[in-house]
Amino acid sequence: MYNENSNLFEPYQGFIHGNMFKNLYSPFGKVYEIKPMNEQAEILTYIDMLDFACIDLGLYLDVFPDNVQMIQLYNQFKEEKKKFMEQYEETYGPLTLSSRALQVTPWSWDEDPWPWEV
Amino acid sequence: MFKYVKKLEYPVNVQKKDLKMAKNLLAQYGGPDGEWAAAMRYLNQRFSMPDERGKALLTDIGTEEMSHVEMIAAMVEQLIKGASIQELEEAGLSAQYVEHDHALFPVDAAGVPYTATYIETSGDWDADLVSDMAAEKRAKVTYENLMRMTEDPDLLSPLSFLRQREVVHYQRFKELREYYKEVYQKEDFK
Repeated sequence: MYNENSNLFEPYQGFIHGNMFKNLYSPFGKVYEIKPMNEQAEILTYIDMLDFACIDLGLYLDVFPDNVQMIQLYNQFKEEKKKFMEQYEETYGPLTLSSRALQVTPWSWDEDPWPWEV
Repeated sequence: MFKYVKKLEYPVNVQKKDLKMAKNLLAQYGGPDGEWAAAMRYLNQRFSMPDERGKALLTDIGTEEMSHVEMIAAMVEQLIKGASIQELEEAGLSAQYVEHDHALFPVDAAGVPYTATYIETSGDWDADLVSDMAAEKRAKVTYENLMRMTEDPDLLSPLSFLRQREVVHYQRFKELREYYKEVYQKEDFK
């Protein structure tokens, strides 16, 4: 659904623009690239961008619930995100309290860093 | 119900201490058009939306706003971390220090505490959605003003993201209102 003629950005471009919809994009200053410092940050960026694509398509679908293509795309992004989340959690610990990474002792949910910590 | 995801919606990695920007950013934390106000506004208004589209949209935008609260909090925390009493005083944050030390507390840029009156629920979908559209516009302007006050790319990058979300939310509220006007045949000024 997203190609050069599409109204949609692909997920990374959508994420750094803060908007999946090209026709809605309102520029103000430059667009900032995400520069992951290590492998952990790189996988997290994939999760972030696919999660964002789902959030933004989801808001659209709330108001236009009959768009078949958009629903297919939502589900595609959701599945891709799930794969990256599993890959991330296996190495770097749980992102949610439903994670498989919570079977270890001590309780891994507590582990630093928390999201507001650099 | 709500569940936590242990990540931010968009990364916040501020390296440089900047207490004046921390104070300015509080506008979007505890201010009238800030992220707390937005989250609480939509998550309360959703209960009186007339149909499933409104209930879904206000739930989902309200939930996204909670993620924005967290991003602003992360920025303020990182900007203020390790600041001395003298630095806080120089940035006009001595009153903040006296009552809250380095802790987060929802006030606006002038130190005015967050208040529930920012949560505009009217029980009328048209009044609520017009108010929501205006709030998104005002928050967009605030983000633009904040972006003019810093040259730090660590701040500009998340602020640019947050500004753009106001654009999208405004559009979705507008589309929902247009749909409702069609369905419920409500004219402006009637």
